[in-house]
Amino acid sequence: MMLGAKAADSVTKFDERLMTLVEAMTTQAAIAQTPKGLLWALNKARLYRYVPVRPAGQRHPVPLLLVFALMNRPYIMDLRPGHSFVEFMLGRGYDVYLLDWGVPGPEDKNLKFDDYTLDYLPRAIRKMKAVSGAEEFSLLGWCIGAILVTVYAALRPDAGLRNLLLLTAPLDFSKPEKITFAHWVGERYFDVNKVLAAFGNMPGEMIDYGAKALKPVENYIGNYVKLCDSLENPKAVESWHAMNTWVTDNIPMAGATFRQLIVDLYRNDRLMKGTWMIRGERVDVSHIRANLFTLIAEADHITPPCQSETINERVESKDKELLRIPGGHIGIMAGSAAAKTTWPRIDQWLSARSRKLPRR
Amino acid sequence: MANEQTNDGNASEATDAWRQVRDAWLENWAKVMVEAVNTDAYAKATGTLLDSYLTASGPVREAMEKVMLSLLAQLSMPSRADVLGVAERMTNIEMRLDDMDAKLDRIERLVSKSPMGTPAGRAKKRRQ
Repeated sequence: MMLGAKAADSVTKFDERLMTLVEAMTTQAAIAQTPKGLLWALNKARLYRYVPVRPAGQRHPVPLLLVFALMNRPYIMDLRPGHSFVEFMLGRGYDVYLLDWGVPGPEDKNLKFDDYTLDYLPRAIRKMKAVSGAEEFSLLGWCIGAILVTVYAALRPDAGLRNLLLLTAPLDFSKPEKITFAHWVGERYFDVNKVLAAFGNMPGEMIDYGAKALKPVENYIGNYVKLCDSLENPKAVESWHAMNTWVTDNIPMAGATFRQLIVDLYRNDRLMKGTWMIRGERVDVSHIRANLFTLIAEADHITPPCQSETINERVESKDKELLRIPGGHIGIMAGSAAAKTTWPRIDQWLSARSRKLPRR
Repeated sequence: MANEQTNDGNASEATDAWRQVRDAWLENWAKVMVEAVNTDAYAKATGTLLDSYLTASGPVREAMEKVMLSLLAQLSMPSRADVLGVAERMTNIEMRLDDMDAKLDRIERLVSKSPMGTPAGRAKKRRQ
């Protein structure tokens, strides 16, 4: 009798765990829940302003614009209630804006870095300045978003950019032997023109495969083993579910932008060599004068530290800091430790530089 | 009762031991794989695979495109290129609208800064 009850209990437990596993792997988590309003739209790009949680008098006067990569969804910055960078920054009194690049369609295959940095970004910034009434602003770029804001900061140093924050920024491609992606997309083995002739844009699935193949065992096996091990821990499952929702939500990258990324940056390191031409203007990072905060993830396999280490030496900014944080490319901002390590450090640096300056 | 607890304890110990072995094996395997994907041979293999796929699927894709193009033309329907052209024109119109929005914002700002932009300024003008 006792044995029967125990067996029934085991079956029920197994059933519950199986249901949790299937649900976590096959459904979408409730993510990006922080209230926001749409301010501006152009083609697929959208500018949002998060609803401030502090009264105007208690907020920093310098607004913060978040710019994420082109080939992933930006809601990683607002992953889930209780564990959201946006929510954290709102709580610390920032006026937070988010530029969502959207999903490029076949008609966007000719969009280049030139368009993103000299059309979309300046227009979104103009709207943010008009709405906030601020003349100065802060820009936070993460991953490819960091390339975009770096180019903008170099080409438009007088546009009112006070603070520039670069997170896991792939800017320096001078050490290809340390960059796995550089091996794969080298001229010998990867025909970028053939790929783009076939697909137009770089398919999200291929980008996703590339990112996951850097650490195949962790991404294709370890990730699911981790979930199986934590099925009886609802918090861990919730966290895994939210992250999996983001990881599996892949978007393509505009073809011409992808070509520039491979040819101009990965193969020829034109940004740091100072030979990158964006709509006829040479991008010279030494023109950057904004206060600069560079954040490196020590265990980043997508953007190895060597890609972000040199930027601080190259800019003209007088106020600059480079911080290394243990963790991976996404983990440092969205991992379970981010709220205790990375976010407070960003706030600490930014709050001191987001105060109203005395009139000259 | 004591036997049951001992059995549960043994099962838990066995599971923990199995997990340790599994994790150690996964860790080693992960290291080997990371090294493997960093080699020239891996880059060459994936490049060759992708190239073969594109070479094989290219003619099929082109043939399909030609067939679709003539079919759409016969049905008097717009082709993919036509639709994409319209989408590009829409973006250009959006750009122009955004330029106008910027100009309006500038005008609004100038008006609000001028004496005529405030109710007191307008009342003064009326008195004059």
